[in-house]
Amino acid sequence: MSYSPTERQSRQEAPAHTVEVTMPQLGVSMAEGTVAVWHKRAGDWVEAEETVCEITTDKIDSEIPAPASGRVAEILVEADETVPVGTVLARIHTGVRAGEAHPDEQLAAPDAREPAVAAAPDGSAPADRPSDAAAPDASAPADRPSDLGRRDVPAPEHAEDRASHYHSPVVQRIAEREGVDLARVQGSGRGGRVRKQDVLAFIARRDAERSDGAADYARSGEPPLHTESPYREPQSAGAAATAKPQAPPGRVAPAPPGEGERLSRMRRSIAQHMVRSLRTAAHCTSIAEADFSAVQVAREALGLTYLPFVARATIDALRAHPQLNATLEGETLTRHREINLGIAVSLGDDGLVVPVIHDAQDLSHEGLARRITELARQARAGELSPDDVHGGTFTITNPGAFGTVASTPIINQPQVAILDLEAVVKRPVVFSDDAGQDAIAIRPMTYLCLSWDHRALDGAMAAQFLSTLRARIEGWGRT
Amino acid sequence: MPEMTYLQAISDALREEMRADERVFLMGEDIGAFGGAFKVTDGFAAEFGSERVMDTPLAESAIIGTAVGAAVVGLRPVCEMQFADFIACGFDQLVNVAAKMHYRQGLAVPLTVRLPSGGGFSGGPFHSQNPEAWFMQAPGIKVLAPATPEDAKGLLISAIRDPNPVCFCEHKHLYRRVKGDVPAGRAATPMTARVARSGSDLVVIAYGAMVWAALEATEDLDGASIEVLDLRSLVPLDEDAILDSVVRCSKVVVVDEANATCAVGAQVASVIAQHGFEHLDGPVVRVATPDVPIPFSPPLERAVLPQPDDIAKACRELLAY
Repeated sequence: MSYSPTERQSRQEAPAHTVEVTMPQLGVSMAEGTVAVWHKRAGDWVEAEETVCEITTDKIDSEIPAPASGRVAEILVEADETVPVGTVLARIHTGVRAGEAHPDEQLAAPDAREPAVAAAPDGSAPADRPSDAAAPDASAPADRPSDLGRRDVPAPEHAEDRASHYHSPVVQRIAEREGVDLARVQGSGRGGRVRKQDVLAFIARRDAERSDGAADYARSGEPPLHTESPYREPQSAGAAATAKPQAPPGRVAPAPPGEGERLSRMRRSIAQHMVRSLRTAAHCTSIAEADFSAVQVAREALGLTYLPFVARATIDALRAHPQLNATLEGETLTRHREINLGIAVSLGDDGLVVPVIHDAQDLSHEGLARRITELARQARAGELSPDDVHGGTFTITNPGAFGTVASTPIINQPQVAILDLEAVVKRPVVFSDDAGQDAIAIRPMTYLCLSWDHRALDGAMAAQFLSTLRARIEGWGRT
Repeated sequence: MPEMTYLQAISDALREEMRADERVFLMGEDIGAFGGAFKVTDGFAAEFGSERVMDTPLAESAIIGTAVGAAVVGLRPVCEMQFADFIACGFDQLVNVAAKMHYRQGLAVPLTVRLPSGGGFSGGPFHSQNPEAWFMQAPGIKVLAPATPEDAKGLLISAIRDPNPVCFCEHKHLYRRVKGDVPAGRAATPMTARVARSGSDLVVIAYGAMVWAALEATEDLDGASIEVLDLRSLVPLDEDAILDSVVRCSKVVVVDEANATCAVGAQVASVIAQHGFEHLDGPVVRVATPDVPIPFSPPLERAVLPQPDDIAKACRELLAY
């Protein structure tokens, strides 16, 4: 075991003293920073270089490492507080040793790596343990004499067993791809290790259970990418079944109420991108209303969803208004000849990915439908390659699946616009017939919501684009 | 298809290539009048004459050196080392001269060196070695190690026709112990691996005599589905086939009859560690001869060389991991 210089120093200096964690200056222009989240609480043990908190500035986010090993004595700046550079954020008491019990220690977050908690062999959730249990447990051997009662109740305790925290590469890869929480998988390997066959069997069981509850999806093999308006008439029974909200794939057991949970890597990445986009682009949202009667006829004839029709119409509209098929990086605006159309695919609780249909201008609405289905399947199976998610020039998202009628989407940087397809809903519409007579009719309508970057274009362009898009949709089959 | 022993298949390959291509000739100690220490070339002198089946002095450096010259001018010499162990005497001609000839001078060296290798018959430390890894470290040399009579013939034909120097490691212990159908004619076997038995729970990767040990060890291993991959060619090494098996099985036992350090199995394990990491469900386990000379004493030799029981034990432990 080698120790970092700071850590060794702290071990040699027996006399008690404290070191300060301060708001660092991460660049000449940085004057102040905000504490985003504390990884440690007062009383927690912290190793040198271990992250104590995350800070955020107007430009970057950063993790702050502990300057020395010790126990967090006090936290002086709470999360979300903004303070000048150099402000003391916390004090670490270095005159103590790891493993010394502290009354607060067992209340630490589960991922905090205090030796006392990690060594606890009974694996019970820290909060459930009596407050004086930490010290005796820390010295207890990891393999206790055979305890038959414990072995007879494998699932919950087993999942927390120390051995099961180490997963082989193939098990981790499968679990990540399939959205499996490995803590729920019972291992049959040495020391309760989760083996490849254990996680595969778990997935097989889970999928079997799912398909029982969602026979309609099982038949098609895929959850629908796009569900239709909740207001549709019930006559098309097959199509109605696909409209049923689907338990998203990869759902993991929700944390008990009131317990904090660190964001998954995908969520953190989404959070970072969304916040950056909002900070970068001058977002405006324009909304146009479109009559889907013509598309609905074509759609039902072909057994497709609305999305490929909207995608095709969007491509035509982008051809007419290439200012929107562009990327803006810094002060450089690039208009693209090819249309690489991003389609947002929900992965349920896990998040969202945007696979890209490259050269979408070459595909018909039927070709687009096939490509969308395939990309959505790959997205959910975790089979997308980096090329499949890069190079987009325009994005379509469709949360209207769940019945919303208007949204203000965030632009997928560095693109300059994003189209949001909302629920197609029957509405009474006033229109004029060929003779100029006004009439009221029931029509399948939707709002086309376009968020666009005011740095790259102006409202007139966005409105013209929407107008072309609406004309394409309403005139489907006549052009 | 005629059934042949491993040894007969080697003779058959030599005979067919010599009949078809007069550039092919043999050099070695006692291979002519006596027919070779293991009788691989029995009757060859009578059929092809002593100019094409040349008895040489006990000087491996001279045998290989002469053959390199002959190969450079367009002949296709096949040298027999009486025992693979003796190739050490011809090491310089093979590793420094033959292997680098094409790199330095652009000349092809279509030379085959036959290495009767391996132990298991109380041959002692001078007659039981598996020196294949020495030559894997000399770029320019190919190294083959067949396990079956069919591959012994097909790979020897490939070796003779290859424009590079090839070390053909034929396992002495298999000479008369394994029999199999061998196609007539002059079909070459590609220098790729072969799935000797397909399976899905664990793969044993081996070559030469260890393929048979692996098949025996895992024939019925508590009902587990065990794949056995026969490498056949060590240079070039069929990394695709290795990784295919790893993806399928996720657990790997690599078996060498050679001494463990820097052996073929070490290279295989390194390929898996680098390129197959995400598919592994356990450590890559090696079974190999420890780094000691091969003892003469039968019980000691058995203790040193990997036995089917050793392979079975390693497989069981890894399966349970």
